Amino acid sequence: MTIEKERAKGVPVLVLDAGNALFKSRDSGEAPDAKARAELLLSQMDAQGTAAMAVGTRDLVLGVDLLKKGTKKAKLKLLSVNLVDAQGKPYFPGSMVADVGGVKVGVVGVSPATTGPEPAAPSVKGKPTPMLKGLPVEPAVAAEVKRLRAQEKVDVVVVLAAVPYDDALRVAERVEGVDFVVQSHEGRGQGMAQRGAMATVIPPGDRGRQLAKLELRLDGPGRFVDVSEQERMRQSLGIVESNLAKAKERLAAATDPTTKQSLEQAVSSLEARRTALKKGVDGGATHSARTHLLSYIQLGSDVPGDPAVQKLVERVEPPGSAAH
Amino acid sequence: MNLRPPRLAALALLLLLPLVAGAAPKQLTLLFTGDNGGEIAPCG
Repeated sequence: MTIEKERAKGVPVLVLDAGNALFKSRDSGEAPDAKARAELLLSQMDAQGTAAMAVGTRDLVLGVDLLKKGTKKAKLKLLSVNLVDAQGKPYFPGSMVADVGGVKVGVVGVSPATTGPEPAAPSVKGKPTPMLKGLPVEPAVAAEVKRLRAQEKVDVVVVLAAVPYDDALRVAERVEGVDFVVQSHEGRGQGMAQRGAMATVIPPGDRGRQLAKLELRLDGPGRFVDVSEQERMRQSLGIVESNLAKAKERLAAATDPTTKQSLEQAVSSLEARRTALKKGVDGGATHSARTHLLSYIQLGSDVPGDPAVQKLVERVEPPGSAAH
Repeated sequence: MNLRPPRLAALALLLLLPLVAGAAPKQLTLLFTGDNGGEIAPCG
């Protein structure tokens, strides 16, 4: 319902999931409701119009097949640019392109790198267990982004990084052509947009408690500038200018040489700070061709649920059960 | 009075205006979820 509200505002919307959606932990596959829960989540994400999801460690608990079967007839695309089978063949597509109100958005999914082959399904007695391998994150993402930029001519690149935070930071620092890296793995929750040398890292929230909302404005090429960073800078400039005026007043009234000297130093330091902030404000978001603004929509108990979905949930998790 | 030429001129102007003024900035919203961890019924 919250997503529908956003869509009704008239600005084109793309819904994406950064991964690690389906299971609580790597060893939670034994729980009697684990499979039903994962299947319900996949079907509901599709019903809500989630376009793509990266495959994370906590999505693979009951194997690759569950994910493939669960999305066979779905519009929801599961993405992983680096998850391959024993022969090196990819299990999932690495990326997709969505046209969002005339903007071509390239979406890349990436999974954690593994040190060696790992089971791609729970072992079944008498049957060989299929294996999977997570190739190194950075080169896999770099190659796919290069392809999207050169061949698909995308306007924006989003990497759904279901990988440890440090790996996501490395992508944002080093991989050219990426605009945003949306990270999931440790359940870090909501946070601030973090600017790297190449891209900005976006925390997507966790446990269905919020929706991260990233508003983009494109008026030409170039790097996205954080509107909220500009706003913070503008507020700081106001404070510095007010302090500077007070310091100058006190300096004009001062007669004691020591006080005068100290106030002169303060004025000089405030003037330097004002110059730096002005430079940032003047060259910032208002003059940028591309801006972004991150906020969160909280999905607390005050947000009404969909009765039809609630019925499906209660089949898996009856009211009053320990899980609820 | 024949209004055809002015009408045509106005139509041509309307068609050309976007090219002269440049396209309006494009806006879009990306909504993200992540790290849901099997949660199907968040309780606030």
